[in-house]
Amino acid sequence: MTHNVEHTGDETTLTVEGTLDAATAPELRTVVDQLVNERRQSVTLELSSLRLIDSSGVGVIVSLFKRIRANGGQVKIVGLRDQPRAIFRLLRLDRVFPI
Amino acid sequence: MIGLRVPATLGYRHLALRMVRAACRMALGSDRTPSGMVSDFEVDVISAFGEAFNNIAVHGFRGLAPQPIQIDVNWNDEQLVITCVDLGHAFDPESVALPDLDDLPEHGMGLFLMRTCMDEVDYRPGPPNVLRLVKLRTSAPRPT
Repeated sequence: MTHNVEHTGDETTLTVEGTLDAATAPELRTVVDQLVNERRQSVTLELSSLRLIDSSGVGVIVSLFKRIRANGGQVKIVGLRDQPRAIFRLLRLDRVFPI
Repeated sequence: MIGLRVPATLGYRHLALRMVRAACRMALGSDRTPSGMVSDFEVDVISAFGEAFNNIAVHGFRGLAPQPIQIDVNWNDEQLVITCVDLGHAFDPESVALPDLDDLPEHGMGLFLMRTCMDEVDYRPGPPNVLRLVKLRTSAPRPT
């Protein structure tokens, strides 16, 4: 997994590529912690190059969503496809994130 | 049939997944989707197996020195069967509550995904523990 964080004004884009699973989720969790601690209000997850996700990876994204929302902000997801998109649908996360 | 024996640690997860993905593509043969597209069959099998491997590596060997996990994949015209054999801690799948998806859970979704993605999930506590995942070639496609 690789990731990149870009801030443009009040907007934050977090790009995640590769595999987000039990082995790599802890690394992304530190990024999520930082965004929450910085009280970012508008976060876009760019996932068009995310190839594989498991429940651990989903857990980190849900954590990001809940914590940013608790701070009054919002999270949106763009580019979700293939296996990650299927997992989001199975877990009914398409109710929360329009995909 | 193809098989793999690797230490039950997350560092070998990607290798195990590659083997199972290759088995899916061999099993589908001419029924595969066009090049570059991933079939629902492969998505389901890979997703379920990934959760199974996580459970063994993370929970099965918690507090233990990792030992090998034996993974075998068999297939025929009707189904694909993955068998995982390990000597880690056993668990009772019936004791695992279904996640409340309305509550946006952050944990406890692995077994749910395994059961949702596969047609049959059978676990026999050991030692050795034996997990059997079955995916039918004729599984109903997911609604889009």
